[in-house]
Amino acid sequence: MIIAERKPLSEILGMIQGMHRILVLGCRGCVAVCSSGGDKEVAVLASALRLGAVKAGSDMSFGVQTLVRQCDPEYLAPLAEMAKGYDAVISTACGVGVNFIADRCPGVRVLPGLNTTFYGANLSSGEWREMCAGCGSCVLHLTGGLCPVARCAKGLSNGPCGGSVGGRCEINPETACVWHRIHDKLTDLGEADRLMDIMPIKDWRTAGHGGPRKRIREELLP
Amino acid sequence: MPDKKKTATVKGFCCNYTARLSGDVLLEIGIAPDDLQIERLACTGRLEVTAVLDAFSQGAEAVFVAGCRHGSCHNVSGSKRAAKRVIEIKKTLQELGIEPERVEMFLVPRGESEPVVAAYKEMAGRIDRFGRFHKE
Ligand code: SF4
Ligand code: SF4
Repeated sequence: MIIAERKPLSEILGMIQGMHRILVLGCRGCVAVCSSGGDKEVAVLASALRLGAVKAGSDMSFGVQTLVRQCDPEYLAPLAEMAKGYDAVISTACGVGVNFIADRCPGVRVLPGLNTTFYGANLSSGEWREMCAGCGSCVLHLTGGLCPVARCAKGLSNGPCGGSVGGRCEINPETACVWHRIHDKLTDLGEADRLMDIMPIKDWRTAGHGGPRKRIREELLP
Repeated sequence: MPDKKKTATVKGFCCNYTARLSGDVLLEIGIAPDDLQIERLACTGRLEVTAVLDAFSQGAEAVFVAGCRHGSCHNVSGSKRAAKRVIEIKKTLQELGIEPERVEMFLVPRGESEPVVAAYKEMAGRIDRFGRFHKE
């Protein structure tokens, strides 16, 4: 899922300085699952901002709503009506939701409440780790299912580098060297000889370096 | 939305098993109803972060949470959960430039009023030290 974290309150309060009515808008998608922007978190954010306003002696007021997803037109449609009378909407969706509101809701001033950080897995309650970087040309069939793009600090296609020590990455000993793990995993699977093949230079155009990406499935178009 | 009513200077969230303080008892020991407002929760595990932040927004200058001592919580881990939320609230206060010591978790024996009164006194002392953060 998409992982995000709340921006510092001082940054958010700075964005809304001088405004009077703010709508804090949650999303029940990924950001609810990673406990950063769902129903519970928008209620806490609104209470925190309200307290910030009280401390500053401001009369700012805050409304709270949550949409099923902010990245789907049918769920976003009610926002045009919902946002009436508000000076701004603080979205606690990922950046996709914020962009989609900016694209689709003329007249709505949308502000990001979160920093969108990565695509990750939930290791345990309160802990998430990056697993994929959305490179657009997956190589996991060559690497035992472990991603060298997202999980190698240098994004190496042919690793490990000379800095791998005892299975740990040289940038931080708390980080496992994913190429060491790929080696172990392929050995376990009886596919260690794959490591003798040199992976060709990656074509990064599919990773967004060829401009914004889109996907169309003709059979699903209306 | 919190209502506009001003809450007491100190607000205490206590579980059913820790708070045994009637208004009369408080008056007897010299605590006026405006000084301390107690909200009883079925268990401090039910404490909402928003309830504490809203208590501050509504006028509280300090908030305490009184839950059962770890190991004797009626609901096993309710007061542990509350203690974690209090840590989260402290971080939020700090981010807002409000002294994090204005909120505190107290682990108290069940069914006794003195520890709750002591918690109130501790928080009232902190308000004296920090002053009011609400604008007049
Ligand atoms: S807007 Fe972002 S966080 Fe919400 S469901 Fe869509 S992708 Fe997930
Ligand atoms: S190779 Fe690319 S698509 Fe596959 S997991 Fe890694 S970043 Fe994601």
